[in-house]
Amino acid sequence: MLRFGERIVVFDGGFGSELERRGLGGIPEDLNITHAEDIRAIHRDYSAADVITANTFGLNRIKYHGAYDLETVARAAAENARAAGKPVFWDMGPTGAMLKPLGTLGFEEAYDAFAEIARIADGLADGFICETFSDIYELKACLLALKDNTKKPVCATVTFDSTGRTLTGSTPEIAAAVIEGLGADALGVNCSLGPKELLPIVERLLRSTSLPVIVQPNRGLPVLEGGRTVYKLGIDEFDEYTERAVELGVSAVGGCCGTTPEFIERISRFSGQPVREHEYTPSTAVCSPTVMTVIDGVKLCGERLNPTGKKALKEALINRDFDYLIDEAVKQQEAGADLLDLNCGLPQVDEKSLMPEAVRRIQEFCDLPLQIDSSDAEAVEAGVRAYNGIPLINSVNGDEAVMSKIFPIAKKYGAVVLGLAMDENGVPKTAEGRLEIAERIVRRAADYGIPRHRIMIDTLVVTASAEQELVSVTLDALRAVSERGIRTALGVSNVSFGLPYRPLLNRTFLAMAMTCGLNMPILNPLDGEMTGTVKAFNVLSGIDENSEEYIAAYHDYKPANGAVSISSKTEEKTAESLYDCVKSGLKNRAAELCERELLTKEPLEVVNEILIKALDEVGKLYESGVLFLPQLVSSAEAAKAAFAVVGAHMPKDAPKKGRVVLATVKGDVHDIGKNIVRVVLESYGYEVTDLGKDVPPERVVEAWREKRPIAVGLSALMTTTVRGMAETITALREAGCDAKIFVGGAVLNAETASAIGADYYTKDALEMAKVMETL
Amino acid sequence: MDFSELKKRIYSYLGFHGVAESPETDALIDSCLSELRGIIQFRYTYRIFDELPGFLKKEPYAEFLSGCNRVILSAMTLGAGVDIKINRLSRTDVARSAVLDSCASASLEYLSDEYERGLGEKLTYRFCPGYGGSPLEDVREIFELIRPEKIGITLNENCFMLPAKSMAGVIGVGKETKKSCGQCIMLGSCRFREEGTRCYGSERE
Repeated sequence: MLRFGERIVVFDGGFGSELERRGLGGIPEDLNITHAEDIRAIHRDYSAADVITANTFGLNRIKYHGAYDLETVARAAAENARAAGKPVFWDMGPTGAMLKPLGTLGFEEAYDAFAEIARIADGLADGFICETFSDIYELKACLLALKDNTKKPVCATVTFDSTGRTLTGSTPEIAAAVIEGLGADALGVNCSLGPKELLPIVERLLRSTSLPVIVQPNRGLPVLEGGRTVYKLGIDEFDEYTERAVELGVSAVGGCCGTTPEFIERISRFSGQPVREHEYTPSTAVCSPTVMTVIDGVKLCGERLNPTGKKALKEALINRDFDYLIDEAVKQQEAGADLLDLNCGLPQVDEKSLMPEAVRRIQEFCDLPLQIDSSDAEAVEAGVRAYNGIPLINSVNGDEAVMSKIFPIAKKYGAVVLGLAMDENGVPKTAEGRLEIAERIVRRAADYGIPRHRIMIDTLVVTASAEQELVSVTLDALRAVSERGIRTALGVSNVSFGLPYRPLLNRTFLAMAMTCGLNMPILNPLDGEMTGTVKAFNVLSGIDENSEEYIAAYHDYKPANGAVSISSKTEEKTAESLYDCVKSGLKNRAAELCERELLTKEPLEVVNEILIKALDEVGKLYESGVLFLPQLVSSAEAAKAAFAVVGAHMPKDAPKKGRVVLATVKGDVHDIGKNIVRVVLESYGYEVTDLGKDVPPERVVEAWREKRPIAVGLSALMTTTVRGMAETITALREAGCDAKIFVGGAVLNAETASAIGADYYTKDALEMAKVMETL
Repeated sequence: MDFSELKKRIYSYLGFHGVAESPETDALIDSCLSELRGIIQFRYTYRIFDELPGFLKKEPYAEFLSGCNRVILSAMTLGAGVDIKINRLSRTDVARSAVLDSCASASLEYLSDEYERGLGEKLTYRFCPGYGGSPLEDVREIFELIRPEKIGITLNENCFMLPAKSMAGVIGVGKETKKSCGQCIMLGSCRFREEGTRCYGSERE
């Protein structure tokens, strides 16, 4: 009987390295059938361990390309592992494919592959161990698949490198939060490094989780010997560092690459020892794969991705214009937000399908944690499922009907939940009433298995103009909730509706709320007065030690500037004319000077007399080798910024230059070249729909139908993806596309382009812009 | 990393035409390189084969490896952080994303070359599937034999390695060879040759 977390459990050691040592080559999973006796011998040799892991690391439909069907291999592997006479854990390895957006494998495809093997193995093993994952998003797919298909214990280990991050940039704290949140029974680290080098990572894991921690190191760091990699760490040292890990408080030990049965036999002396206690302080934290935001002190939640009262965002959501959302997200991040609210709720949209798509697209470009904000439980679930990391759900309230829908989702996906201090009877008029609801929410969450630290409370802001006497109720409730150790949130700017000089009320109220213990104001991070108030508060409350952040933000503040906006960065060089700005690639200044030009000139005059002429000069300088690529692109970006200003001044019915649809074709993920084309075309005033990379032909056809562009630009970098380009062109032509088709990319030339049916091959962005001008 | 070595390559990848380097671009490259230092997670894996794996018995590998007594199959990566960074910048600062991309490519070549100097005395250069008309699909063979998944490199259905800043190659042991344009698929349309240089011209001799 294994007692994870109470008594030390010893796992077995390296399997791949053992196969190699014994001269067993080929697909490891197939050896379960072709060399069953040899595999059993390895398992038997590891029988000093408490748990034997089956030889199934690569057994999933994406990774496995062996001679048999999955089930046949699975049965053989289980039978072989049983030969050791010990409990058998199923070894779940990664798919070997990179998930989107960096790669081309979909999250749900990965989930399906893991779910299939989980169903097959459920009756064959006593538990599961996910090993050697380096992408927490893929691990999320795997853990969800396991939790949906087995009741047996599930463990998960991740690999880190010497910088203490996984290959996709996650820290031990982030990995621990995600794995624990997804309901694993134990978590840890395997492979990566030797037992000595893993100790700091083990310590960080122990501090970050209430779960039992597993450590399965390699046999030290590999060394080069006669041109070969060998593991040389001695058994004594391995044992010594294992003991150090045990003293720190790990619950399970074992080995990975290079460790042999002798190593496991030695460390089996720890088996059954009581697990040492270790320090762990739970925190309220949300994370993306690379950024963890611990909600203590004051953390800013950006409110600009909520369509209430925002016309442009409404339109963007209805048209699924994700570029607009991405830009809003990036702007808020640059302005210093710590997490972002995302709300897609509009009567005109299918929120359930829009939310996950918005989550994925925003996470591709912005690494802040997100708050999934919806009143539709299905949209919430779709959003948190697609989310990479631990999100915040906004929101529940004290109404049982709401809690019973949202809490199971939060439990399943490990989310933190924001609870509103109200219920089906409305918002209580007293602080006691709101506190009572807050406590009810925390209590009910616990019934669903959601610990107290994963709940935050919003004590609800009222409008001072309507219910002046209730402002203090909000603050009193906030203080009471905060005193109970629960993290708090408020949508601050609601307070000033209906009154003049709203910013003054907003920032005063924000300061009052922060002194009452507000942890997460939901506000517009581009508003320098609000973020400045937080910075000032951090100085005065002692959070910003030595006022460092405050000084960094305001050391060059001059009263003449009025309120400082921290979002506008100063450009060192100043150019005096718009023409020079474009030439020198100064985009912020270009927008400013363009506004100035428009005071005296017609929009079209600015375009033709300044922007296009400047771009032409830059183009000539580039072609003659005086300027090169980065400068060309900077100039294009400056011109683009100016065009955006001109566009706002153009009459609505003004003729447009036309739209271009751009895509890097299916299977291809290199899109630097395409991005340069995008900027250069935009600098010439074309509207560009950029479909991104790895775009299937049907998506391009769909975009052509919807947008009716004057041209379609396709990019492919490698010989293997020129096929995808040809398929896309065929699909476009079959659909009746009359737009000109441009192709570009390293392996293309005019000959190939005409062979696959393109209208034009252009060697670079500038050449494409020139051809476009002649159409 | 030796910056002066790297810069030559970076300028070359960026399509530098041989005119005076601009101080702005130089500063941009410096800033990208120092940013990269905090992101790069360089990993290298390889295996030495005494017997030639089957796929290397055909041309152009056979000629490339003739006279070698052993062969090394290797794979290397800068990690996914670099991809993420380049991707993000493509939204906010396309110029910087293009420069960072070139800096990353140059760094990967440089770090790999440095690593390989520790693998032995007489080695050929690293011949990657796709060179000399060899099929890109051969990268699958390398994946089967050395499993670069363990250092975090994956392969998609079109033989793209991801993270994008990854390489997989073949190195012969027992003779030294230098790169040449040979049967390069770009031979007919090479912008380097047009300008009288070579794409590998900036590499360490």
